[in-house]
Amino acid sequence: MRDLSLHLMDILQNSIAAKASKISVFIYTDTVQDELRIVVEDNGMGMEPEQLDLVADPFATSRSSREVGLGIPLFKASAERASGCLTIESMKGKGTIVTATFKISHIDRLPLGNVAETMVHVILSNPQLEVELTLHDSRDGSFHFSSAYINEMLGEVSISDYEIITWIRDYIDEGIKSNFGGVLNEIDY
Amino acid sequence: MKVKEFAEKLELKRLTGESGLDKEITGVYACDLLSWVMSHAVKGNIWITVITNINIVAVAVLTEVSCIIVPEGLKVENVTIKKAQQQGIAILSSSMDTYGICCRAYTLLGK
Repeated sequence: MRDLSLHLMDILQNSIAAKASKISVFIYTDTVQDELRIVVEDNGMGMEPEQLDLVADPFATSRSSREVGLGIPLFKASAERASGCLTIESMKGKGTIVTATFKISHIDRLPLGNVAETMVHVILSNPQLEVELTLHDSRDGSFHFSSAYINEMLGEVSISDYEIITWIRDYIDEGIKSNFGGVLNEIDY
Repeated sequence: MKVKEFAEKLELKRLTGESGLDKEITGVYACDLLSWVMSHAVKGNIWITVITNINIVAVAVLTEVSCIIVPEGLKVENVTIKKAQQQGIAILSSSMDTYGICCRAYTLLGK
């Protein structure tokens, strides 16, 4: 995959397939540790330990009827290619947390890509889903987006309205720029 | 053959304007794993990659490839283009896929 937002899309689809009603995405950068960390936390059906052992194996996943595809193995490969790793914590009936880390300065670290587009896509195709996005850089400042909060503010108006979606896209883009500009070399700020 | 002539023959779009068009081409290298390209691309090669982040410019400078071609009409970020212009690297874009570009290059450049 060419960028991390495409990986993120894959992982979010897993959470949706696992019937999550709430998904929180955290993207952290730590310039001292030279680390980028992406965390996806959901309240979906979760997995048994035996299932958890299989998710990183692409052949095991395609054999079964579970709706987890190549998302995890490819994300794991991308993290490891950039001196990072991928971990999954899951509890049956509680939910799943997927964490991927990357060495920011590693030449093979994929760029962040269009995170706003990924979030907007997920919101548009799952209007009932509660989606959160938190961005944070170790220097200071952070950014938070919550679809539940937006929905509350909007009242009768739908979050899928063209103008609302356009606003969300710009808002997230700004958040990415202000938090990660000067930290991740692909961000034009 | 120079990059400029090659770009004209394959009708490549010059994303970086006039920069780097005078370099001499010695062959073709196609790979997307940047760390691998760093240790395997040869000076003067045309380098074909779907990766478009700013790191490709660094790899191009280091390996002294003659230019970068992005296949399948991929968009290239502005930061990448600006940096390439500063470094005198040509980034060219093609609607063909990597195999198509290689085939055309073979007929023009030989082995």
